[in-house]
Amino acid sequence: MSEADSQKLNVLLQGIEGLQLTQFNQRRLRADISPEALPALLALLRGRAGYVHLSAISCVDWIAEDEFELVYHLYSYETKILISAHIRIARDPGVYLSVFDIFTPAAFFERDIHEMYGVYFEGSPDMSKFILTEWQGPPPMRKDFDSEQWVMDTFNWQDYHPDWLQDIEQKGGGIVRTPESRRGEE
Amino acid sequence: MTQNELEKIEISTQPKRTNPLANVFDDLVRFCRSRSMFMLHYCTGCGAIELPPAMTSRFDMERLGIQPMVTPRQADILLITGYVSIKTLKRVILTYEQMGSPKYVIGICSCTVNGGMYWQSYATAKKLDEYLPVDLYIAGCMPRPEAVMEGMQQLMQKIKTGEADSWKKYYSHYDYYLGNQQQLFGNNWQTPTDIIGEAESYQLMGPQTLGEHTKILQQVQKPLEPLEMKL
Repeated sequence: MSEADSQKLNVLLQGIEGLQLTQFNQRRLRADISPEALPALLALLRGRAGYVHLSAISCVDWIAEDEFELVYHLYSYETKILISAHIRIARDPGVYLSVFDIFTPAAFFERDIHEMYGVYFEGSPDMSKFILTEWQGPPPMRKDFDSEQWVMDTFNWQDYHPDWLQDIEQKGGGIVRTPESRRGEE
Repeated sequence: MTQNELEKIEISTQPKRTNPLANVFDDLVRFCRSRSMFMLHYCTGCGAIELPPAMTSRFDMERLGIQPMVTPRQADILLITGYVSIKTLKRVILTYEQMGSPKYVIGICSCTVNGGMYWQSYATAKKLDEYLPVDLYIAGCMPRPEAVMEGMQQLMQKIKTGEADSWKKYYSHYDYYLGNQQQLFGNNWQTPTDIIGEAESYQLMGPQTLGEHTKILQQVQKPLEPLEMKL
């Protein structure tokens, strides 16, 4: 990021309260901001600084801190800089504002996050099921959802050494070296 | 009914006919059937990458009489190449039920046997033979084209001797398969194909064709409506 770019950005963003900008390298910026000020930041960056591409919204479940972290990745084709705006919202009730009115593609990302984490975005056009149309359980990407336990409760497993395998073994096939016999070799 | 009990049940194969000429004819039909198989490869996962070399000039499956086919109604083999997510499983079952009998299912890769490397995932089905009768598994992650060819030859052998009739199992034990499907998809699950009606027409009704799960199906079943055409 050149000196001029940096100065422009600083002038543009000086009105936003509580904004913390960290620069990682020439093309990566991290912005930590309060949830209330995020729509203003996005609108400013899109309208006045050429950050027209919302390339993704990602979500992190910080279960120990009882918070969700939402990260909005904005890219500018003119300065070729990626800004990641980080906010933290309370895990319960997990409700936030949609930025669909600023970036239209946000609808997809928000629908996806709603499905995977259960975060509800107010004002998003469609919060119905997206990819997991067959899923009835809790949002599966939450840290308190134990995928392994759920799988153990739901599915049956093939036997490790079923009867029909013995026929195959007599013909020279099957499991040649069991895990027990291989233990200690490595 | 557990899987072990299911495996023990033998499907009564067609008894040998008394007319020796008819036997010769039956053998001929089975031989021809085993040498002209059309394969619908439902490429669910990564195992599909081993099929192009198996089908093209390097290993040349066509010399065994196996060809890829584009529609389920014209295909004999349903090849499931890799992990089956629950969403995909719905489509696999719809495809399987559309195929004309006799039909064979081959599960390729460890994922169809036991979930494979996705065993912890909430989104993939683990044992394919709980939902469909599988004739043959080709294990491996992924199996090489040689293994695929070997499996195909075994299937051909099974067809020639008349052992490969697990498609009859789907009709005679429909209640078991439907129960497992309902467990994943909910009790409102229904397919456009009338399996019970087909079982009656093929005379393949068994003691386990109807049961508690088919009762649920008959309660919730809605008659099919023509698709709405819109521009």
